[in-house]
Order: sequence, then C-alpha cells, then structure tokens
Amino acid sequence: MKINNSIFVVLIAMLVAVSACQKLDIKPVNLLTDDQIFSSESGVNVYMAQVYRKLPIEDFSYRPTGRDGQPGFNLHHEWEHFWHSGAACGEMVGPWGGMDIGGGFGYWPYADIRAVNYFMETLPKYAVNFAPDKIDQFTGEAYFLRAYYYFALAKRYGGVPIVEVVQKYPEQTIAELQVHRNTEEETWNFIGKDLDKAIALLPATSAPERANKYVAAALKSRAMLYAGSIARYGSQNFVNGDARTQGYVGIAPEKATSYFNQCIEAAKLLEGHYNLYTSNSDKVMNYVDAFLDEKSPENILVRNYSIPSRTAHSWDATFSPRWMTANALSRAYPTLEFVERFGMLNFNNPDGTPKRYNQPGDAFQGMEARLRATVYFPGDILRTRTFDVQRGIYPTFSGTAAAEVNKPAAARSYLLSGDPNTMYNGKAIIGQTGISTAGDERTRTGFYVRKYIDYRRPQADVDLFTSTTHWIEFRYAEILLNRAEADIETGETADALVCLNKIRDRAGATPLTLAEMTIEVVRNERSKELAFENHYWWDLRRWRIADVVLNNARFQGIMPYYVFDEQKYIMLKEPETFGRNYNFEKKFYYEPMPGGELGKNPNLYPNNPNY
Amino acid sequence: MKLHLSTMLLGAGILLAGVACVKKDNYDAPDASLEGNLVDQQSKSNIQTATGNVTIRLEQLSWSATPAPQDIPVKMDGTFKNSKLFKGHYRVSIKGGAFWAVPPVELDVDKNTKYDFNLTPYLYLNSFTTKLDSNQLTLRFTMQAPIAGMPSIAEIQPYVNTTSLVGPGASIRDYSDVYKVAVNKEWGDMSPADRSPEFVIPNLVKGRTFYVRVGVRFNNDDKSSNLSEIIKIEVPK
Repeated sequence: MKINNSIFVVLIAMLVAVSACQKLDIKPVNLLTDDQIFSSESGVNVYMAQVYRKLPIEDFSYRPTGRDGQPGFNLHHEWEHFWHSGAACGEMVGPWGGMDIGGGFGYWPYADIRAVNYFMETLPKYAVNFAPDKIDQFTGEAYFLRAYYYFALAKRYGGVPIVEVVQKYPEQTIAELQVHRNTEEETWNFIGKDLDKAIALLPATSAPERANKYVAAALKSRAMLYAGSIARYGSQNFVNGDARTQGYVGIAPEKATSYFNQCIEAAKLLEGHYNLYTSNSDKVMNYVDAFLDEKSPENILVRNYSIPSRTAHSWDATFSPRWMTANALSRAYPTLEFVERFGMLNFNNPDGTPKRYNQPGDAFQGMEARLRATVYFPGDILRTRTFDVQRGIYPTFSGTAAAEVNKPAAARSYLLSGDPNTMYNGKAIIGQTGISTAGDERTRTGFYVRKYIDYRRPQADVDLFTSTTHWIEFRYAEILLNRAEADIETGETADALVCLNKIRDRAGATPLTLAEMTIEVVRNERSKELAFENHYWWDLRRWRIADVVLNNARFQGIMPYYVFDEQKYIMLKEPETFGRNYNFEKKFYYEPMPGGELGKNPNLYPNNPNY
Repeated sequence: MKLHLSTMLLGAGILLAGVACVKKDNYDAPDASLEGNLVDQQSKSNIQTATGNVTIRLEQLSWSATPAPQDIPVKMDGTFKNSKLFKGHYRVSIKGGAFWAVPPVELDVDKNTKYDFNLTPYLYLNSFTTKLDSNQLTLRFTMQAPIAGMPSIAEIQPYVNTTSLVGPGASIRDYSDVYKVAVNKEWGDMSPADRSPEFVIPNLVKGRTFYVRVGVRFNNDDKSSNLSEIIKIEVPK
C-alpha cells in the first residue's frame, strides 16, 4: 500500500490542532477525594474496605516467600495454595525444597500504614459529618488496623520504625523522613497501646469482616503472647549481634510476665461473647462444619470471598486429589509427625509383624474426632469417592515392619508404580489418590488435608477460583489457647486446664487433669487445634525451638500396601516419598531487614544478627 | 522483495539512534584483591572448615558508613580470596565458624592485599583414626579444648562422601547423618568417654572410594562445627 505523504502530514497537523483545544481540568473519575470519602459513612466504608483488603492476613492465598517479587499477601490470581507455611516446617510436606521460607519476602507495608495514619489525621477535620459514636468506631478501627500491620512487621523483624504521622515530602527533609528503627520492646508496646485504644473506642458488635472491641482484644491476646514468649525464650536461644545488643531484636526476660498477663487479660474480655462451635452432636462433622458454617459463634473476624468480586480462592481444588475435583492438583500433605501429635499410631502386632487389615480404613478407627476432621485418612470418602491410598503391592509379605522398612529399596519385594492404571494380576498397584512414585500430585504421606475442605460442593464445581469458604482470622479456640499458654507461662495452671478442656471436649478428646498440665501439653494442643491455619511456623519461631525441631529433619508418612496372596492390607511407617530435608538456621528467628529499605534509610542499621 | 530507499534510510536512522545511546564506561574495573588464611595460632596450620561454614565479610567503609556487605566464602582448607574488589578502606570480619571470636579489622585493600586471621578453635579433634574391616568402618578420635567455656556441644557425627568435598552439607546421609549422636552438653559436663567417641559405619558399598572426616557441632549462633582432616578410604571388592 502506498501512503500519500501529504495527506498523512495534514492529518497529524489536524490532530495536534484539535487536541490543543482540550483543557486538562477534569476531576479524576478513578480517585475519591477527601470531600467524597469523609462526607458520609458509606464513603468511609469504601476507604476502610480497601484497607481491610490489604490487611496482611495469612489466609488461603498467603504465600510465605511472596511471588515474583511481590509481597505474599493478597496476591492477585494466586491459586497455588500448597505453597503453605506449614509445608515448610513439618506440619505438612509440600512443594518447598526444604525449610525455604526463613528469609520472608521483605514485607514493608509503610504505604498501607500511611493510609491508616492519613485516615486518623483527616477524620477529625470532617467530624461534623458523623455522630460521635461513629467517630469513635472509625478511630478505633484505625488503631486496630495499624496494630495489625505493626504486628505483621514485629513478628518478622523485631524492632521497626514506628511511624504514627503522615510523612510529607518535599516539605520534610530526607533526614527527617529516614525514621530510626525502634527497639523490639518499643514496637510490641506500641502495638499493645494501639490495641488498648481500639478496645476502648470500638463498639461490641460489628459486621463479621470488620473490627469490634473483641476483635481488637483477640489481636491483643495473640500479640502479647508473641511478645511474652519472645522475651522469655528469645533470651535463652538467640544469635548475637549489634542489633541485639542495641535492643532492636530481643526483649529482656523479666518483661515476659507482664506481656503474658496482658494476653490473659485481653483473652478474658472475650469470655461470654464468643463460644466454640457445637451445633452438631457428631463430633467429627461438628469440627468439619466449624470451619464452613458462617453463622459459627466461634468466628471473631473473618474474611469473605466471592466469585463476582474475583476474590474466590482455590483451597478445595488444591488440597484434595484431582480424582475428587474438577481441575488442578494438590501438592502439600500432612505428615505422620503431625498426625502422631494426637497419639502414636501402631499398626503392628506385639511381635513386630504388621497387622493385616481387610480394608485400609480399618487401621484408622477409634481416633480423636478432631483429627479425623482435620486430616483425610485412607478409606475416607469425599464427594462419593474413596481415598484409596495404596503405596504398592507385596505379592507376599513376611517378617517384621521394622526389618522391612530398614531394607534398601532394591532388596524389598514390593511393586510400586507411578500410574494408578498399572495392574498386577488385575489389581491396581497404587490408588487413584496415591501413593505414586512419580511427582507429588498425589499424597506423599498417605494423608490429605480436610480442614476447610467444603465436602458439600459437587465434584464438577470444584475448579480453581471457585472456593468461597471464609477465612477465619480469629476464632475463639485460638483465644482459649492463647490464654492457656500465657496461663501456664505464669503459673496459672488451673485456668489453663479449664481452657484446654473446653477445646478438648469439643474435639472429642478425653479431658486432661491438673497433673498432666505442662507447657509441652499446652503447645501440643495448640499445634493440633490450629493446624494448617498458618500458626505453626510462627509458634515454632517464638518458642525458639525451630532450630531443634527442624535440625536437618525429615518427615514420615503411612504407606498402605496390599499383600496379594493374603488379600489383606498392611501399614508401614516410612519416610515421605521425596525424603526432603528441613533445616532451620538460628538467624531465621528474625527475617533480614529488606535490602532495598536498608539502601534508602541508613537508620535501619544494624541489620538483624547474622545477615 | 524490493528494498525502498526510505526503508533503508529508516533502518540507518534507527541504527544511528541506537548507537548514540552507548556511553563509554570510564569507571575503572575492580582490580584490588584480598586473600588470606584462617590460621590456628597454636599449630600455625590452617583451620579445617567446610563448604559454606565460614565467610569473610567485607564492608567498604570508604564507600558508605552503612555499606551493603559482601561475603567471601572460606574454602575447606581455610583459605579465602576475592580478586575483584574495588580499592578502598574495608572493615573485615569473620562470619560463622567454631572458634573463639576475633574483633573485626579495618584494612586498606589494594592490589595483592593479604591478611591472615589468627584463631583458636573451640576444640581440636586429635588422633583421628580409621579402621576398615571388610566393608565396616570404625572411626575414633579425641577432643581437646584449648580454652574452656565455649558454647555447648550439640552433636557429633561422621561425614562420609564419595568426593574429597566432604563435611556438613556434603555427605551421604545413610553413612553420615544416621550415625549422628546428640550430645547437648557443656564441655565441662562431658565424660572422658564422651570426649573420645567411636563411630561404626557398616555396609559401605564394596569397591568404592570414600572420603571421611568427623565433626563436632556447637550450639552457637550458626551451629558450626570443628572438623577433622579428611581421610581417604578404599573399600575392597
């Protein structure tokens, strides 16, 4: 095609001339101005909605190392929920190559904190537009939100710069904007102080997704528990360095008791206002539904998801095998070590030979209801399909379990397979749900996660971005556990026992006695109750036991085999099929200050020890 | 295809525009170097270490008061070298390692700068002997502390590998980590038997060559180890 140059030139000239008539004085339609936001309650709700949406809640889509350089919170279009913090520290085994999450992702939410500070500074200017109780409510919410951001920072870095005002550039000099790092103790105290203000200002009730007095108290009980255990255990197991000697990480041990007491006090505020979920007399189904029923009196703060708002997650499609879903795959599986927190499993006769079972499910009878509701075992059913987990076939089996497991793989007479369609004399060698020799899209440990799985959805619907189950950020069981732990740390054993037995009763476990109450028992109860809810990683850290629990650790699973000549099943405890190694270095008790921020602000030095 | 003059002009124009972007980098390439040894000040020989166990940290103070640190890994034989440094004033410190801490030094690093750190390890692993019965290996050694009061001893273990690069993080698990012994004691609480351990490693693959050493791991900041020298073992067929 030939272009006539002169026509082209004329056209461009006209375009330039016409566009010059346009005056660039249009109010932006994609921004809300202060006048619009602070004119009415609905304006404030819009502002609040975006702050809540950015809140660092470690929900289904939380990814503890971030993704593609973005923070790990609230990622857009994130579906690979099996990159779960629990799968890097032994609750589960998953796609991580080992304990890969110690360095974090350089979380630095000062832009979001600024949004809260801006709100606090601007709201009084528009006070005439609101009733006084609304002003209190909004201000209280802002304190809660700011505390939530600082909590997410303090548990990662220790002391961080406390910024309580809206910084102004270029009015302020660079030196003024380079805020100095505060000590760890100052940071936790600041969080406590903000939450006290929130508790005082907020009303007793709120929408399930928004803060009220008790939501703030729930965060306070969690935060003060963290601060107390960091003070106590961080002074016993620590890495030396300038940041520690100057107080930017670490809290003096004598401060621990006061933090624990604040935790108990905050937890007690919730008493009588929330209850454990006990709607169903079937304790297994009751515990399953506790995570699915949006009317649960146990829920203190939730986050909702919906398909129209494009916030739906993929928990259902990524924690169950493809055999039971419409799409996607699973990659993270509970470990035997986690399951045995509920009591050691024994699949052997007294002489050490494996018991013979008619069905795999027969091996898992008589277990605690909560465990059955937290983990799917071989033989369980989901969406009319059975977890037919089978590691392989022994044409014939003799001897003890221990002797068999200790043999080199080549000396074992079993048949394994990577494909569930491979047959041995008409019998499938492995199940549709594993355990395969190829890949990790079927279980590596014999188990699958059950918590938060919505069993009511038909299989054809279980696709990516279709799960709308709410995330329960605070639930009453955690508050009871916070209180019990702070109790036992301060010698209030009787109160700890009451809290624990409430949880155990709902869980279908036998009640404990006062003589059985130790710190290990309380911690174990917490690890069981809050499994797969992104607590375990932080708990291991603040107890300062991660470097002991994850000292080149490897984890195990249950391998069901079919013994062909006997037509029976046996269960062997064996290393999970990938045999991965998990090691926690002591420096990971704190994350490194983000390198980019250190470059911008020399007052963030010294960096945390050993980085 | 017919090539128009205008197309050729356009091509030439783009080429010229592109060339115009290139600036000559007149900054001198880094040509200073720093090398040295971690020397045991008693025996004057180098301290044995393992891959990734100890690093030398450089902070270029002549560049900034809070420079981003750069680390040189110390090799297994206790030497270190970086020959691509910018000339300047550096703070040099040791990061990690199972020896008594020494304060950082400040150095002017230029061409061929050398610096040795004189150190005292927490423990000497003396009289390390190996005995091979067919394919069963027995290892013995004795620990000796030049100075008491070091961090507590976490564990001791043998390290076996098929290459001479053997140590923590470079060993065959079934011959090494499974024979790990958890100690978790202070040096003063260890009995003479604790201080002279023995490891028996059965069922080594016949006809192979292995490299073995032993290590004592401390519960210090980076859980580092004192390590023996490396002995080569040839298992007969």
